[in-house]
Amino acid sequence: MLDDTFKAAFESKPKAVSLELQHEVEQFLYWESKLLTDRRYKEWFGLLAEDLHYWMPIRSTKIMREVAQEYTDEQGFAHFDDNWYTMKGRIRKIMSDVGWSENPASRVRYLIGNVMVVPENENTINVVSASMVYRTRQERQLDVFACERRDVLRRVETEAGFEIVRRTILIDQSTILSNNLSFFF
Amino acid sequence: MNVKANVGATGAYSDAEILAMIDEKNGKFDPKIYVDESLYRLELERIFARTWVCMGHESHIPNSGDFTTAYIGEDPVVVVRQKDASIRVFLNQCQHRGMRICRADSGNAKAFTCTYHGWAYNQGGDLVSAPMEKEAFGGCLNKAEWGPKQARVETYKGLIFANWDADAPGLDEYLGDVKFYMDIMLDRCEAGTEAIPGIQKWVIPCNWKFAAEQFASDAYHAGTTSHLSGIMAGVPEDVDITQVAPPTDGLNVHMENGHGCGLFLRNPMFYMTIVGPKVTEYLTTGPAYEEAVRRLGQGRADVNLCHTNVFPNLSFLAGINTVRMWQPRGPNEIEVWTFTLVDKTAPQEIKDEWRRHTSRTFSAGGVFEQDDGENWCDIQQVLQGHVAQNQKFNIEMGSHTVTADNPEGFPGLSFAYTYSEESARGLYRYWTQIMTAPDWDAIRRIDQRPLAAE
Ligand code: FES
Ligand SMILES: [Fe+2]
Repeated sequence: MLDDTFKAAFESKPKAVSLELQHEVEQFLYWESKLLTDRRYKEWFGLLAEDLHYWMPIRSTKIMREVAQEYTDEQGFAHFDDNWYTMKGRIRKIMSDVGWSENPASRVRYLIGNVMVVPENENTINVVSASMVYRTRQERQLDVFACERRDVLRRVETEAGFEIVRRTILIDQSTILSNNLSFFF
Repeated sequence: MNVKANVGATGAYSDAEILAMIDEKNGKFDPKIYVDESLYRLELERIFARTWVCMGHESHIPNSGDFTTAYIGEDPVVVVRQKDASIRVFLNQCQHRGMRICRADSGNAKAFTCTYHGWAYNQGGDLVSAPMEKEAFGGCLNKAEWGPKQARVETYKGLIFANWDADAPGLDEYLGDVKFYMDIMLDRCEAGTEAIPGIQKWVIPCNWKFAAEQFASDAYHAGTTSHLSGIMAGVPEDVDITQVAPPTDGLNVHMENGHGCGLFLRNPMFYMTIVGPKVTEYLTTGPAYEEAVRRLGQGRADVNLCHTNVFPNLSFLAGINTVRMWQPRGPNEIEVWTFTLVDKTAPQEIKDEWRRHTSRTFSAGGVFEQDDGENWCDIQQVLQGHVAQNQKFNIEMGSHTVTADNPEGFPGLSFAYTYSEESARGLYRYWTQIMTAPDWDAIRRIDQRPLAAE
C-alpha cells in the first residue's frame, strides 16, 4: 500500500551511506527549501522530474487495531496528488499577480532534519526526512506543520545534482489547522 | 488562527430585529449575522437541530459495522451501517457522564464501549451492558432509556442525511426542488455515484454562511477576480488567459427551504480548466453523456457546472463533483469536510482523473479553493471591528432580472441572470424566517414567495 519500497528499506536500520553522499543529499534538500523560502519558484520547479508524483495523502484518526489505514491510499482522496504538468500550473498560479492566497505572499521556513539516505542504485536514491514548516502571513496568521517526506531522487547532470521524481508527504495533522495549503512541502 | 472571540457581540435580538436583518427592498443586509454569538447559538438550536444535515455518502460505510463520525452543527454523531443495511445516526455522547462513545474518524466496529466507565453499546447505539450492573445498579438500570439520542436518518441517491426533529417533514419533501439539481451530479448514470475514499478536513476562520451563500449564489466571484489564478493553473500554457471567456449563459435559482443554486449552460470550456480534458470529454460527449441526456433530459445534461447549497450547510459542484459540509465551529470558524463523487460506472481512468483534479482545484491546497479561504478569513477579521459590524452590505445584484418563470423550464421559486444574488437573498430571508419560527408548525407557515418576483 503506502510506499512498499520505503517500508522495505526501513524495516531495519539502514546501512549508513558514505559521508559524502549523505552530505550531498542534505545540501540538495537545504537548497531546495531555500529556493522555496526565497520564493524562487521557477528554479524550484526546475528540480522536479517530468515523471514526478507529488503526493500528500489524508491522515485520519483510527483506533490502534486499524491504524494501518491511517492514510488514504493511492486510490483515495489526497491533499496533493500532482504530476509535473499540474505542478507547472501551480507555479503559474503562485507567480501570477492574482493568486490571492499568496499575494501578499506567505513567509515560509523549512527546518529539514532526520535525513536518512537509502540508495536504490547509483542513480536512484531514496531519502526520508522530517520537515517542520513554519508559515506566517498577513498581520498575524501562524501555521506550523510537521511531516515526514519520502523522496525518490534521481542523479542528473545539473548544478543541483538531483531531481525529485517522487515526493510523498506524510503530514501529522488530520484536520488541517489552516485556511489553506497555498505553498509547497 | 487569527480571529479572536467576538467579545463585542451584543445580546439576544427580538424576532422583529432578526427579520429586519435582511432588507431585500433596498438590497441591504446586516453583517452581524456572521459574527454575533447569540445568533450563532440560536442557529445551532433553530437551524442545525431541526433541518436535514448531510452525514456523508453511503459508499463511505458499505459493510455492516462500518462507521464514520460526523457532526450535526456542533453535536458529534456516529453514523453506522447496520446488519440489515440500514443506517443509524446517534449522538456521540454516553448518557452516563457524557464521554464521547466513538473516538475514531472511521472504521469498522462490532460494538462501541465507552472508555470512561465501560458502558457498552451495540452497532445501533443501543446500550446493552454496564460493568458490574447487578452489583452497582441493583439490577434496575433501565438500559432502553439510557442509550444516546438517536437521529432520524434518510438517504437521497447515496447521500446520507440526519435530523433531530421528530416534527420535521421527511427528507424528500424537505429537499423539494433542489433534488432536480442534485440529480445533475447524483443521477447521470443508472448505477449512481460512489465516493472516492477519504474525507479531507480543514479549518477556515470564517462564518459558515459565507461558504453556504457562495455555493448557493455566487457565480460572480468565479467570473470576476477570485479565481483568475485558479483558471490560469488549469489552462494549457499556449492558451492566452484572456481568451478564456467567463461563462455568461446560465441561471441563478432560489428554491424553497433555503436551498439555492447557480448554473452555467453550454460552456464546457470552463470544465476544461477545472477537471481537465479527459473528464470534460467524458461529461460532454460519448456514451456517458448520452446516458445523462436520456436520464436527465437535454437541458440538464448540458449544464456545465451547477454550484449548489442544500440548506443549511451541504454544498456541491455538480460536474466537478466536489461535495462539502461546512461544519460550524462558533460564529468565527468552520471546518470544511470534503470528498469527491464519481459516476460508479465511469472508466477507472476517468475516476482517477476526477479524483486528482478535485484535489488539485477544490481542497485545502486547491488552486481555486485556496483563494476562497483567503477572502473569507479577511472578511471575518474585519468584522471584529465595532464600526465594521454596524455597516450594511450590498445584496442588490440582479434584482432587475428576477422572474418567476424559468426560460429553461427548471424548477425553483425565482430565477435570475447568472451573475445575480437572488438565491443569496432567498437564503438570508429564509434564515431570518427559520430563526424566528419556534417550531416546525411555524416553519411550515413561512411565506417563501420571493419578494422581487411578486
Ligand atoms: S461516561 Fe460513559 S460509562 Fe461513564
Ligand atoms: Fe470559490
